[in-house]
Amino acid sequence: MNLLRYLKMRSPWYVRIEVLAGVALLTHLLVVWAIPYVIMAALSMSRPAEERGTGPLFPPMTDHTQRRVVMPSPDLLYALCAFDVRQRALRIQADPKLAGYWSIALYGANSDNFFVLNDRKAAGVPVDLVLIGPDTPEPATVPAGARMVRAPGGRGLLLMRVLVGDYGAERDAVEAARRTLRCTPLS
Amino acid sequence: MTSMTSNPATAERPRWTRVLALYLLAIALGAGSAWLVVRSHLDRGGVSVGVWRTSTLAGSTHADLYTRAVVAVGALLALNREETVYYVATTDSEGRPLRSRCRYRISGPAPDARWWSITAYAEDRFLFDAPARRYSINGRNAPLDAQGRFALESGPTPPANGIPWLPTPGDRGLSFTLRLYNPAPDLVANPASLAAPRIERLGGCE
Repeated sequence: MNLLRYLKMRSPWYVRIEVLAGVALLTHLLVVWAIPYVIMAALSMSRPAEERGTGPLFPPMTDHTQRRVVMPSPDLLYALCAFDVRQRALRIQADPKLAGYWSIALYGANSDNFFVLNDRKAAGVPVDLVLIGPDTPEPATVPAGARMVRAPGGRGLLLMRVLVGDYGAERDAVEAARRTLRCTPLS
Repeated sequence: MTSMTSNPATAERPRWTRVLALYLLAIALGAGSAWLVVRSHLDRGGVSVGVWRTSTLAGSTHADLYTRAVVAVGALLALNREETVYYVATTDSEGRPLRSRCRYRISGPAPDARWWSITAYAEDRFLFDAPARRYSINGRNAPLDAQGRFALESGPTPPANGIPWLPTPGDRGLSFTLRLYNPAPDLVANPASLAAPRIERLGGCE
């Protein structure tokens, strides 16, 4: 309050207007910057009560009742892991064994998609990734064959997508495929 | 008898109240303008081809402050364009805003991608409560003619001609999203090179 008082007493009216405009501009930029972080944090923390736990989240096939993420694709089955690699690395494993499209994408806390691996790039080899934070040292022991990925920030979200043509007919195969996903903190 | 002399402490309070109100107003203006700018840029900017628009920076680590905020609000968890290109249409080919109660014919060459789909969204960016959970038409279930072209119709009731139907019940705002998963390298390099599907309104609106 002392600063405000000083400005009020010492400054002419146009300086006070400039200060107010500066506050408005800074607030504007701060809000624009914060929007993705807030939305991603809300998504990472929103987990249905029946799915509480540290493992991946396996939401039902997307339909019109899904209101968590805008513009959901009705042709994809998803699996999610929220990650925090500030202290410990995260091991990500999956072996979908599907002929169709699937992908594992990693998003930073600011919603940037900083990594994606799909079935073509995996070329039939099971996914085995070790995700570490920007400042965390590499784990002393990395599982043989695992690939190291360094995240640009400590927190974020993993989203696995599995293409589904006809969920009723393909249910067993695609459900089994997405449930091969493991997100395990490394000690 | 009451004194007419005001207490300096109580005289100060209204001035501080006014100053505080001004700063709160500045903060409200800053926050409100940020939200308005982000909302007003949904489905705008980026590259346009026909009536379709795509952001070349959606999901990208090179996105600027505003693009990142717009994508988070309008298309959260988008993949980068090497993996998927998203095109959004909010008007028909004559520039009229799309409405769910109108009937549209969407046609064009099958996009050059490993897999593609066209999905209908209401103005809130969520799926319609569509009969038989038919939310999209994609490369697997859209028949192609001899020239490799697809055609579908959207609207509240099914078409009589047997053409694939994308239901859009009710009277709401409408947009179509064309997704290209693993698009051809030319499209990744130049999303404007898409042979854009046309969106023609058929007759009047129901």
